[in-house]
Amino acid sequence: MKYYCVLLIAVLSLVLFLSLQDIPVAQDLMPASSHYVNSGVRDTGATNLVNAILFDYRGFDTLGEATVIFASAAAFKMLFSHKRIFSFRYGLSPIVKTGMGIYSPFIFIFGIYVIMAGHISPGGGFQGGVIIASLSILLTLVYGLWYKVRRTVFSPAISSNIESIGGFLFLGIGLTGILTGNYFLSNLDAGFFAGTPGHMFSAGSIPILNIASGLKVAAGLSIIFYSIAGGE
Amino acid sequence: MNLLLSYIYYLFLLLLVISAVFSIASKNLLCSVIFMSLFNLFMVIIFLLLQAPDVAMAEAVVGMGFTTALFIITISKTKEEEK
Repeated sequence: MKYYCVLLIAVLSLVLFLSLQDIPVAQDLMPASSHYVNSGVRDTGATNLVNAILFDYRGFDTLGEATVIFASAAAFKMLFSHKRIFSFRYGLSPIVKTGMGIYSPFIFIFGIYVIMAGHISPGGGFQGGVIIASLSILLTLVYGLWYKVRRTVFSPAISSNIESIGGFLFLGIGLTGILTGNYFLSNLDAGFFAGTPGHMFSAGSIPILNIASGLKVAAGLSIIFYSIAGGE
Repeated sequence: MNLLLSYIYYLFLLLLVISAVFSIASKNLLCSVIFMSLFNLFMVIIFLLLQAPDVAMAEAVVGMGFTTALFIITISKTKEEEK
């Protein structure tokens, strides 16, 4: 069975090497892509075009993606809820605990920076949320599971509340577009603060949607990891 | 892309395929997980060469951090046997 897999990998890698010549260059764009590139900054105010497409043009798809994470976190919580905590009770040695205590604030600040600067530089709500979730994983592995239950921000009960807050914030921003007489998740037409493109407070509802998505992803993924690690 | 960048790209594609083969062919499950993490590292470098920093950041955090942690936790909760 393994040899068939290796053969499959060989064939697929041949296709991968041959497809290097067909990577498109930037001058011949499709009509939709050239519309996004030419008028993206004017339409949304965000200089990061990937985030402009994710949270403005295709915001409804991002809502579906957030729903997937919510459903998987709920399923993990349901499957592993009645188990008791046996493993990772006391954590690792004091050297590792001290080192983790020194550099955990920097990981948290970096995650918050990636979320907040998502509309002006590479990054965004999903990436920053996963960085904060991996900080939560590190805290679980280093300090043990009981430490995490005692912490206020990272405890599982607060995490599920934070995930609900993120989801309702996303839906509320979307419904604001309808209440002001536009379509669902409309950005600058709904009267959000436009600002100057490239500045911190700009791009209308995109930073708020980044924060909502970041809260949701961070809380959801840390719930998933906590459920798996806490089960027997 | 110019010639030097093209050679670097080919090198990382080759390393990608080699790490994928090792990830399947190794007997130890923990070794497989580490090779899969290495696969994701080369994937991140290829995304950076193709000028997609958003995807590279997501791949680095999810592929190398979160998935590896989930797999290692799952392996540590099961028996080490292979038929």
